[in-house]
Amino acid sequence: MNSLWTVMSFTMRTKLRNKAFVITTVVLAILLVVVGNLPTLLSKLDSDKATKVGYVQGVHDELIQGLTAFYAGQEKPEVQLIGGASEDALKETLEDGDIKGFVTFADNASVGFPDATYHAKSSLGSSTAQSLTVGLQVVKNQLVLKDLNPSEQQLSLLNATVTVNQEQVRFTNDAGKTPEEEGTAIGLTYVLLVLLFMAVMITGQLIATEITAEKSSRVMEIIVTSVSPLKQMFGKILGTFAVGILQMIVLVGALVLNLVQQNNLDALKDMGLDLGAIDPKLIAFAVFFYLTGFFLYATLFAAVGSIVSRTEDLGQAILPITMLTLAGFYIAIFGITHPESSVITICSYIPFFAPFLMFLRIGLTEPSVWEVLLSVGILLASIIVIGWISAKIYRTGVLMYGKRPSFKELIKAMKAYKV
Amino acid sequence: MSVLKVDNIVKNYGDKRAVNKLSFEVQEGEIYGLLGANGAGKTTTMRMVLGLILPDEGDIRYNGKGYSKEQLSMLGYLPEERGMYPKLKVSDQIIYLAELRGMSRKDADKNLKYWLDRFQVPEYYNKKVEELSKGNQQKIQFIAAVIHKPRIVIMDEAFSGLDPVNVELLKSTVKELRDEGTSIVFSTHRMEHVEELCRNITIMHRSNPVLQGSIKDIKKKFPQERIIIASDGAIEGLDSVSGVKQVIRHEHGGYELKVDSPYAGQKILQHALAQGPITRFEIMEPTLNEIFIKTVGEHNE
Repeated sequence: MNSLWTVMSFTMRTKLRNKAFVITTVVLAILLVVVGNLPTLLSKLDSDKATKVGYVQGVHDELIQGLTAFYAGQEKPEVQLIGGASEDALKETLEDGDIKGFVTFADNASVGFPDATYHAKSSLGSSTAQSLTVGLQVVKNQLVLKDLNPSEQQLSLLNATVTVNQEQVRFTNDAGKTPEEEGTAIGLTYVLLVLLFMAVMITGQLIATEITAEKSSRVMEIIVTSVSPLKQMFGKILGTFAVGILQMIVLVGALVLNLVQQNNLDALKDMGLDLGAIDPKLIAFAVFFYLTGFFLYATLFAAVGSIVSRTEDLGQAILPITMLTLAGFYIAIFGITHPESSVITICSYIPFFAPFLMFLRIGLTEPSVWEVLLSVGILLASIIVIGWISAKIYRTGVLMYGKRPSFKELIKAMKAYKV
Repeated sequence: MSVLKVDNIVKNYGDKRAVNKLSFEVQEGEIYGLLGANGAGKTTTMRMVLGLILPDEGDIRYNGKGYSKEQLSMLGYLPEERGMYPKLKVSDQIIYLAELRGMSRKDADKNLKYWLDRFQVPEYYNKKVEELSKGNQQKIQFIAAVIHKPRIVIMDEAFSGLDPVNVELLKSTVKELRDEGTSIVFSTHRMEHVEELCRNITIMHRSNPVLQGSIKDIKKKFPQERIIIASDGAIEGLDSVSGVKQVIRHEHGGYELKVDSPYAGQKILQHALAQGPITRFEIMEPTLNEIFIKTVGEHNE
């Protein structure tokens, strides 16, 4: 039987029988089921009930009436106004939790319209204050307009909102993306970037840990005498890859199955995300960059794992690679808001960042075909080169014990072993 | 034709020479002893025989053929540092290692059960390696080295860390393998095991083979310089006999004498008989231990 397959199936079997691995996957899957239902949960929490806001009765009645009318005109009133005898009485009601906050007014002679203050338990991120601002602005406009006595036509013109439409320019023949498609693309790109990063990190570290464990338990000495190191390394990488894919399918499956439930789809649509607008090409690119990213980093992790003799030293040794993935990931996160930045463009040709950044550019901008081909070409070439170098390091590293060899010692050993 | 023929191999690590012009041959059904102090080049030699590293010069032949993938399945290796997957079941890892050597799962399983029975530990089949004592782990390691019926087995420090009962058990198994025609390259620091098992040996010192040949011939080269003599009472004045270099009095009675030639024995015997009856007198041939210390020590100076 082919020994590559033997190594691969052994790696898969031990991994799938590993309790910690199974438990982690199950826990993550449950977490993702929750995340998958988050849109519905969020829309449930954002209850349709209006926020109760108190006011002092008998003062600034004109404004209160205007506000009440404004909120009554809304389809789902954001605020329900509740009268209170005095500020102190309102404070007590607030403390009891019967109202969320209360509004007071102070005359401002220079503007000719009173200043409003919204009192609430927390002053941070209050959407109610924003809502009140909008409401009062309308009330103010109405008050001023009442004196001017405008025509019906002038009124409707004033009230009409200005629209600014956004459209992404495409240089091919297709139509540009609508804002909804754009939002979906950003969301999807973000999710896929996180998945890509996690997959590469988790599986890469798994590979490195397993190789070091084999080395430190000295099983390695027997294994390398039975099967060529190259076959062993790629068997290990492919086996872990298969397990990683399986894990990914379970996790993504748990997420997607829940997301495509009708109630979640509706809730997502309300947030401006349309799963139907997902470009299948983007998914294909995600799979492609997952594969390339995985093999690029997996061979690196394998090489590093092979030169470390003790599991304790591994964390330190793989730090440079971890930094590299982290750098790629953070540049990509930064790039979500600035996909056209020249930093992103340049970095998308660097093989270590390309899986993250070229994917980002394809998702959010319109790189020309040659740019994509160039980046992918560089990426594929470096996978071959790095795979080849890693195999050499691996071949040498697995036989070197003691302290972690320096680069010079490694080269020397490579020459001595004639690899 | 010899099963394993090592011909003038040289290995350099950078500017340091690890093995210098070593040659030896191992016949079918022979245990060959590879001896040397720590760092003498034994492990490097074994790694070259195993094909892990290539010699810079010289040649290694297996049944007359060069190293190739097919040779892997006829090699068995028991490394100096014991290693197994601690968290895996014995059956899982032994079958995996056997599969890597080209066995089918079924055959591997059958052989594993045979060997576990042979060592009277069939209950270990489903145990994790970390649950076993060190000596029992060693047995499992031994099974891993021989399960695929290799023609050549490399054993690096095969019996280190075992209790006397288990040493005997493994030793008899090694002899059995030898009698079935397996060729074994054997390295150890326990000279009494070498004397018991090996026909031919090489002593290596600082990368060089310093002493080679059959144990019998090697012993002939070294003079008999040790005499044991004992009587019921004390024997006086032994150190005054001509030819005696050193007298060591043993706690449980008797004397061990270092002499410059075996002929001094007669004079010593006469001297002792004059003082009373003698219960023991023996002119000892040099032990391998002495030869080893002498050889390696000489070259050290």
